[in-house]
Amino acid sequence: MTVASPAPAGVARPKKPAPSRFLIAGLAVTAAITVWAAWEIDFTLGPLFENFANGWVVVEQFLRPNWGYLDNAWTAWLETISIAIVASFFGVAVGLIFAYMASNVTNRSTRLYRLTKWFLSVLRSLPDVAYVLIFVALVGVGSLAGILALFIFNIGIAAKLTSETIDAVDPGPLEAADAAGNGTFSRARWAVQPQILPNFLSYALYIFELNIRSSVVIGYAGGGGIGYLIQVQFARFNYENVSAIVISMFLVVLLIDQLSQYLRRRLV
Amino acid sequence: MSAETTASTTRTARPQEPGKARATIGAIVLVVLVIGGGFFSNAQWSKFPDIFTEGGRYFYLMLRGIVQNPFSEPYSEYWVQAFNGMLESISMAWIGTMIGAAISIPMGFLAARNVSHPALVQVTRVILNAIRTLPELIFAIILLLPIFGFGPNAGALALGIGAVGTLGKLTAEALEGIDPGPVEAARAAGAPRSAILRWTYWSQVLPEVLAFWLYRFEINIRASAILGVIGAGGIGSVLSQAFRYREWDFIGILLFVIIVVTVVVDSVSGAVRHRIIAGTGKTDKDIDTEPVGL
Repeated sequence: MTVASPAPAGVARPKKPAPSRFLIAGLAVTAAITVWAAWEIDFTLGPLFENFANGWVVVEQFLRPNWGYLDNAWTAWLETISIAIVASFFGVAVGLIFAYMASNVTNRSTRLYRLTKWFLSVLRSLPDVAYVLIFVALVGVGSLAGILALFIFNIGIAAKLTSETIDAVDPGPLEAADAAGNGTFSRARWAVQPQILPNFLSYALYIFELNIRSSVVIGYAGGGGIGYLIQVQFARFNYENVSAIVISMFLVVLLIDQLSQYLRRRLV
Repeated sequence: MSAETTASTTRTARPQEPGKARATIGAIVLVVLVIGGGFFSNAQWSKFPDIFTEGGRYFYLMLRGIVQNPFSEPYSEYWVQAFNGMLESISMAWIGTMIGAAISIPMGFLAARNVSHPALVQVTRVILNAIRTLPELIFAIILLLPIFGFGPNAGALALGIGAVGTLGKLTAEALEGIDPGPVEAARAAGAPRSAILRWTYWSQVLPEVLAFWLYRFEINIRASAILGVIGAGGIGSVLSQAFRYREWDFIGILLFVIIVVTVVVDSVSGAVRHRIIAGTGKTDKDIDTEPVGL
């Protein structure tokens, strides 16, 4: 081995290992699902080339946003932000109670713990739009339906995120509380809550952001706010107005993201 | 002096309670915001009690729909429509995820600081952030309906575009977090750039990225229901139709199918994700970067 020969004669290159059966099966299943799904929805990119001219007319209108329309939009924005504030406040407050019930750490009854987990996963499996449709049927079109729908929706998310944080708390204070003979409520309040509070508040801000983002959906389904305005303007083919609203939405979401990131950095 | 020390050992003074001024101000601001929100949202709070008076009745009607003999008319038709709608939604979500995944790979590489040029990184990140800011519904409205018309095809494309934002960002972050060792080894052995990207970068992030894709699929199933409301097909369209005619027993069946299928798909997909990232040192929590429901 005095001379570093590039490839010593006679030493065969090791054989490439054969792909595992797991991989082959996985790829086959993926390909099968993809083909089937594409067939199910008649997937095609054809219209992109055939109807591009139609689309371009719309895009052109979008490129000339009607800024004047934003004078009408600001009340809708106020409505959307108000909906988000009320729904996230009550949603995360109730979500916190569910979070305590959905963690082994704070909930000492296994049966209640399982029941809460099951209930929350049912709650989360419905999309927000389903809740909007339900509440529109119950209380009529308007922002009350939006508030109630987001409220229910927020409970699921807040409870999931917070209960995962509760699962990971430092057990020290809990042991101390147990040793001092605390009951279920006071150990949750004094041994767990101080530990999770910064995370909880940051989830609350995150949920507020989510609520602003889903305002389009909420309004479309009849829950009031900026989404309703988009729906009306879109239905009337006023694409210049829709474009102005979309750009304002972009700015509002960005602004709220920044604000909430700033607050979250100070909290955690 | 000494007398004082002994006194404090026998009876330590209680430390002063920390000030609560900040918390109090925060609470007051919050209360003002919530009351203001309740007022400016223009919500008709007087209708609030309707939930309890009407809610019970509707809930009963929905339950009644579920427990009816599913092979009798018209319930057999309801169940068939519900399952077909859900299949269409899942297909939309799957194709959307595939499109998003395919586009997000190059975007992710372009947005990773340790792979591409700093200027390119900035440009790509701005694009990805812009996509992430806007909800899928907007893409569907603006770009797709005029070209693709109403239907699941437009929905799948909107979901695909929407997925690029998150997937691209997560792929870039995964790439930035890789172990540089293999990269140096490949470079020292004289590997071309394409081989370095394929065999050192991509191999290291693949499990994590696959898990992101599956997670996005779970999110897209819910999002596809949302797109259905504007006429993009799938269970969302069926659902809003049923609500328009107030067919409560049908609504009950639809919600039941959505819940069951979503929970089943979530747990299968979750198990696969868990298996994929096992051994990479990542946990499920690293993958669930945004809660389902966006």
